[in-house]
Amino acid sequence: MKILTCISIEITKLFRSRIPLMTILASMLIPFFGGFFMFILKDPDLAKGLGFISAKAQIMGDADWPSYLGLLAQAIAVGGLLIFGFVMSWIFGREYSDRTIKDLLALPISRNLIVLSKFIVTILWCLILAVLVLVLGILVGKIVDIPGWSADIILQGISVFITSATLTILLSTPVAFFASSGRGYLSPLGFMIFTLVLAQIVAATGYGQFFPWSVPALISGIAGDSDAKIEAISIAIVCLTSALGLFSTTFWWRYADQEI
Amino acid sequence: MKEVISTTNLTKIYGETYAVNKLNLSVKQGEIFGFIGLNGAGKTTTIRMLLGLVKPTTGYCYLQGRRVNAGNTSIFRNVGYIVETPYSYPELTVRENLEIVRKLRGMEDRDSVNWIIKKLKLEGYTSKRAGHLSLGNAQRLGIAKAIIHRPKILILDEPTNGLDPEGIVEVRQLLMNLANNQGVTILVSSHKLEEISRLATNISIIHNGCIIKELDKKQLEGQLKKVLLVGGEERNNMKSILSEAGYRVVDEGIDFNDEIKPLQIQDDDAINSPEKIATLLVKAGHPPALLKVRQEDLESYFLRVLKEAGEV
Repeated sequence: MKILTCISIEITKLFRSRIPLMTILASMLIPFFGGFFMFILKDPDLAKGLGFISAKAQIMGDADWPSYLGLLAQAIAVGGLLIFGFVMSWIFGREYSDRTIKDLLALPISRNLIVLSKFIVTILWCLILAVLVLVLGILVGKIVDIPGWSADIILQGISVFITSATLTILLSTPVAFFASSGRGYLSPLGFMIFTLVLAQIVAATGYGQFFPWSVPALISGIAGDSDAKIEAISIAIVCLTSALGLFSTTFWWRYADQEI
Repeated sequence: MKEVISTTNLTKIYGETYAVNKLNLSVKQGEIFGFIGLNGAGKTTTIRMLLGLVKPTTGYCYLQGRRVNAGNTSIFRNVGYIVETPYSYPELTVRENLEIVRKLRGMEDRDSVNWIIKKLKLEGYTSKRAGHLSLGNAQRLGIAKAIIHRPKILILDEPTNGLDPEGIVEVRQLLMNLANNQGVTILVSSHKLEEISRLATNISIIHNGCIIKELDKKQLEGQLKKVLLVGGEERNNMKSILSEAGYRVVDEGIDFNDEIKPLQIQDDDAINSPEKIATLLVKAGHPPALLKVRQEDLESYFLRVLKEAGEV
């Protein structure tokens, strides 16, 4: 029952902050921009008339549901690293930057439970954001009237989206370690940018399937047909990285000197 | 009496610096233990180790006879604390912050929040966000969070910081009431030595990580020196007259932290009969402008002890 208490407290703290609103707005950009690109792609004349935007939009492929759902999955795989990482860094880092951590460390409740409840609430909120992007994305796609709707295509697209989003969420756990050990937001922010950039470089060298932060994007099809390279080992590497993030954060809260 | 807070050879080393060095503390039930020292003397590090926030390099801390360890969470059930400035979740109201503490401490009694709000006179601020509180009220909220669960042990680092004089008196009375009527054991560290001298039943002076003086209120009373302060024009002449008459006169004896430093006579005879000094000086044509018996306060005593220890 203690874990439920901790979860309810974390939910209270999250929902009384501006983070839900900020992350919802950031997440909503994904379907709206995706829909906007599809809208332009549907009408090439309008696309040419718009110049730069149309040129970018052509890269996205055809105006159909597989391209559109692929675009959403790619956006969640890359943008999610930032959005989900931001949520994670706030949930953990705020305790240090607001110096409220002191109130959480000498309680008749295990520090592990507090850390675990923070992870649970972060992951739940990130999943809600991912579902929001997907639902809103489908709604926008319907409004734009993207051609090529079929149950198989939609299910396939949703499956890729959910896999990419889940793996991206799992990869946010190391951010918690950097927020805790760095006692605030700067370290996790640096870590997120570093992994985001490195993921692109490693993917470009052809070894992306072995670098955890490249895997969700590769699964989403960002590199064209290279998604075929993703095997169980890549998923295992992501899960291992996630577990490492979780355990290192728990270890830090439990054993490190809290000098704040 | 039962020992409630204790440390055994408690040591914390940062690099090559001993923040705390073989510290042995013993605080008995119902005592208000004043823990004083200069900045960086080791007070807060000791308090952090007592609360399991920092691990000792060597040595141990005990609360109610049980060894402190971050994993031993049940030990903190009866402990309330403030470490330096208390902080609360700024976006949450006073009531919400207190509710969080109540829940984290596993307290079923929902009235405890109302009780502590009333006790700390926070009724007018229950719906106010903690981030919008004044320094004094934020401090009250911190104290409220520390005692909401009616702890048996209170470990307070600078509990009266930011409080107005009325708030300081209220908190002092509250703590004295907890110790005297409910047997709560309190370890309190503060820079406000006057406050500590009024509050504490026992005092410990920590310096460079070591306890250099430990005494109870009675012993302290016996150690506070009295001097006769003599001031006036032509100070040097007055000093010569008094010295020739056989009195022990010093320019700067006890440091009362005053701007003007009058002469100090430490002889019991002068302290008990200051009129003799007045007569002597008047006859010599140097009537004193100031003639006052003054006893050391805790601040002066503290400075003297540090001076004797080779510092300040």
